[in-house]
Amino acid sequence: MSVNIEMSSFFGLYTNDTLSVDVEGKSVRECLHALVEKFPKLKRLLLDKNGNLQRNYDYFINGQSVYPKDMNQPLKNGDKFSLLYVIHGG
Amino acid sequence: MLTKEELERYARQIILHGFGKAGQEKLKKAKVFLAGVGGLGSPAAIYLAVAGIGTLRIADHDKVELSNLNRQILQWQADIGKNKVKSAAEKLHSFNPNIKIETTSETINEKNVLKLVGDSDIIVDAMDNLPTRYILNRAAVEKKIPLFHGAVYGFEGRVMTVLPGKSACLNCLFHGVEMPAEKVPVIGVTPGIIGCIQATEVIKCITGQGELLTNRLLTYDGLQMKFNEFKINRDPHCEVCGDKRKR
Repeated sequence: MSVNIEMSSFFGLYTNDTLSVDVEGKSVRECLHALVEKFPKLKRLLLDKNGNLQRNYDYFINGQSVYPKDMNQPLKNGDKFSLLYVIHGG
Repeated sequence: MLTKEELERYARQIILHGFGKAGQEKLKKAKVFLAGVGGLGSPAAIYLAVAGIGTLRIADHDKVELSNLNRQILQWQADIGKNKVKSAAEKLHSFNPNIKIETTSETINEKNVLKLVGDSDIIVDAMDNLPTRYILNRAAVEKKIPLFHGAVYGFEGRVMTVLPGKSACLNCLFHGVEMPAEKVPVIGVTPGIIGCIQATEVIKCITGQGELLTNRLLTYDGLQMKFNEFKINRDPHCEVCGDKRKR
């Protein structure tokens, strides 16, 4: 079960500039936890104390918005998971 | 009716396929409410002004500061301390004396937003914070007029167009998420690019050309020099535009 996680440049500071990575996982939760295992600096940034994604991040699955957000949402082999920071500057 | 001077001024866009004098007249009749005349609002305003938007109504409560000058290209060194809308209006008038420019330094809030937007046909969201963006989104839905959203951070930007009743609104995108107050890092070229895309969308919408960025979030990553696009599904239960709408 391999899912490709794609991130914008914002995350490069925490991932040694790796912005695309394949992880093993069957759900959003498993994939995000696999991601922070590979890049521990992301853990405090992305996850709250319950291990859920912080609300100031958004994600898209195979280019589509997902709502409501569910950390247990299943992901399948070959899915593309795009992670974005919610930006609001002008 | 376009004047002889206007026909010459806009000649290069009037000859665009599908644009013509009719398109130019639509721009001349249009009233655009521009919320914010900083990083995003400056390039958006300049290109809307030179394109011949009839009335540009600009709102910004800030005064010009030195730290604005790396990106807010309508604000110059000599403007430090002036109201941003005043200094912006002076330059916009020099770019195109044919257009009407209205200004307000009032802070946009839930109580005055409908009055400030007035009879504008369009809202451009060039704000620097989410709460005011949500207020503008609600106003657009209430007035059933398009909203053109843009946002920046560092070398990254986002753009989306909202057609109330037809496409996902800002609340369908953000679901009311709140961001901590932060000093947003930004390099001037980023709002330059995003503000120009917002202006492009406005011109397309008014003249009825092309495909708008509705139900699509366009993302720009300047460091990777990549544009990406995500499908934004309209939330049928959205509290702003869906069946949970608070009236």
